[in-house]
Amino acid sequence: MALNPFFLQGSPGEQRLVQDLINEQLKIYGVDVIYIPRKFVRKQSILREIQSSKFDDNFAIEAYINNFEGYSGQGDILTKFGMSLKDELSIIISKERFEDFISPFLEDSDDNEIVLSSRPREGDLVYFPLGQRLFEVKFVEHEVNFYQLGKLYVYELKCELFEYEDEVIDTTIDEIDTQIEDQGYITTLQLISSRSVATADAIISTGYIREIFLNNDGYDYTSTPTVAITSAPYGGYNASAVAITTSRAGVYSIESIILTNAGAGYTIAPSITFSGGGGSGAAATCSIETIRNGISNFVVTSNGTGYVSSPIVTITGSVGTGETAVAKPIVGLGQSISSIRIANPGVGYTVAPTVTIAPPTTLVGVGTYLYNEVVTGSNSGTTARVKSWDADTKILKISFVDNAATKGFYPGENIVGSESNAIYSVQSYDRWDLYDKYSENIEIENEADTFIDFSQSNPFGTY
Amino acid sequence: MLGTYFYHEIIRRTVISFGTLFNDIYIRHKDSTGDSISEMKVPLAYGPTQKFLARIEQQAELNKPVAMTLPRLSFEMTSIQYDATRKANVTQTFKASDGTNLKKVYLPVPYNIGFQLNLMTKLQDDALQVVEQILPYFQPAFTLSIDLVDSIGEKRDIPITLDNVSFTDDYEGDFSTRRIMIYTFNFTAKTYLFGPIAESTEGLIRKVQVDVYADTNRTTAKREMRYTVEPDPIDAGPDDDFGFSENWEFFNDSKTWSPTQQKDI
Repeated sequence: MALNPFFLQGSPGEQRLVQDLINEQLKIYGVDVIYIPRKFVRKQSILREIQSSKFDDNFAIEAYINNFEGYSGQGDILTKFGMSLKDELSIIISKERFEDFISPFLEDSDDNEIVLSSRPREGDLVYFPLGQRLFEVKFVEHEVNFYQLGKLYVYELKCELFEYEDEVIDTTIDEIDTQIEDQGYITTLQLISSRSVATADAIISTGYIREIFLNNDGYDYTSTPTVAITSAPYGGYNASAVAITTSRAGVYSIESIILTNAGAGYTIAPSITFSGGGGSGAAATCSIETIRNGISNFVVTSNGTGYVSSPIVTITGSVGTGETAVAKPIVGLGQSISSIRIANPGVGYTVAPTVTIAPPTTLVGVGTYLYNEVVTGSNSGTTARVKSWDADTKILKISFVDNAATKGFYPGENIVGSESNAIYSVQSYDRWDLYDKYSENIEIENEADTFIDFSQSNPFGTY
Repeated sequence: MLGTYFYHEIIRRTVISFGTLFNDIYIRHKDSTGDSISEMKVPLAYGPTQKFLARIEQQAELNKPVAMTLPRLSFEMTSIQYDATRKANVTQTFKASDGTNLKKVYLPVPYNIGFQLNLMTKLQDDALQVVEQILPYFQPAFTLSIDLVDSIGEKRDIPITLDNVSFTDDYEGDFSTRRIMIYTFNFTAKTYLFGPIAESTEGLIRKVQVDVYADTNRTTAKREMRYTVEPDPIDAGPDDDFGFSENWEFFNDSKTWSPTQQKDI
């Protein structure tokens, strides 16, 4: 039997009226939520997944909260993967308002990033300001209030708390963007902005080791052997040296012997022996200078800061027909000069020469990094996004590190902020996440180091 | 009967050793041109924990803005079982040194400890990246050298065998439930449990002394020559690379060595 022709069962005017009433009700009883569309950065074919996404737009829209007694879902539960929050939220938004005020902007977006613009999409985010939480749209129900007067007027968005991985959330609304400030894989850059020049004095004497001759470089020295030099006679100073090992095609041997102290007061050439290092066969002899003065020892009077590579050390003093000494500075922890070794003690000094250590390469340190801005390493080209910046400790927490080629940031290079133009130099880069409350990677590593023999080295972790 | 207290932390060490295999695994994501845009070290933790601790540490702010972060790795011990195939005679002992004293140690008891490693990811591709970084190293075992008992420096090779890999991918069903992807790896660590370690009455032999007599009748014969040998340096340990200093002495004083008084009388 056909419908009664004397009634309209929903004229466009009536439908318009209902839609207006719903829109008004939503504006009166709803809350403003922020709708954040997901933009595809990379779609993985075959496995059919969006591997990388970004959320860099925002649209405010009024929504009625269906959950009047609190979030639905399982609540907070403890899983084998730590705490998991299963809160769910159901909101109702106006179909007309979405189509008029959000869809046109989505249509104008890059087609590769936004593949559907006519309706709310599963996978998009909704920021719920009352709870200050990010919800992911799980399902869009378009047939609630089933065809009243022959039309559908609202969408019901069924949402659950967002599971965060490494999505860029840069909506330009600080309240939203900073919600993930402490989330995800965060690494640490220790930056520096100041430098100081190291200084050292030279001690001269006679009876020092003039030169070491490596007569046999040995074999199987997989680690550095200890070099022992027989003691100086009473009243003298003992010489000391370190071995530098090298390898080629799986063969390990000693490359050279460098004096750390040339000693003083020797009357006959001391003997040199090697122990440890896993190898054998190395042999060395030396010559001494008992008449003229040479450098016996360098004393570092100030370690300096900001040294990321060995500086040039100049030794100035008259040697007559002798030979000028050559120093080999060692950069230790904290970018300072830990010691100066003697590559050549020289000969012919009458007074202690002046030791001049070149200043560190120019360091910079200006500006304030901004949250979420992209920073770039000046030498490595590695990029990352700022999670936080502490101007006092000069610690820059970063995420989204692009490590494809360079494996991180180099000490000494400059970190440049793309928006703030802040620039500081890198002192060190730590790839462990020290802030994740679930992760115990570093604790496990440290404990295991005390009793695992990893002489075979840990094969895992080399991506 | 069993009341001798000892705790070598062997099982704890085995747990940590197992965990350290998987604490440096990375996942990378790329952009549409194929360039890497993000690299993450996969967080790892021992799964079982106190509930209150998990809550106050991982949810210090009650209003956490997101459900959780992924990917995550979790591992836990699932079984402890005697391994009869590695059975040794437990009444046998061996001597070990802690550097100064000799210890008497009974042969350890072989036990298999079962472990489960779980991987949860948002993407199948993430999971496959991790799986491929793990599986090739197990054929089917990967061996770790672990210092099981500190006091005797007992290093044992512990093979960790990958028994099986399984996964769940709940992608079907209505849209009210989220897709959950979990890979489960089951392992067996073949470890050894040591009993109490007793102090030995014997010390490290640091000096050997041999007296030579002119006759086999010791009541009438007196020692005429003494050979002593000591490690050089004297404080060398059993594992050190050391030499010996030898000494010969000749006597005609008609005395004999008294082991109790430690002198010639």
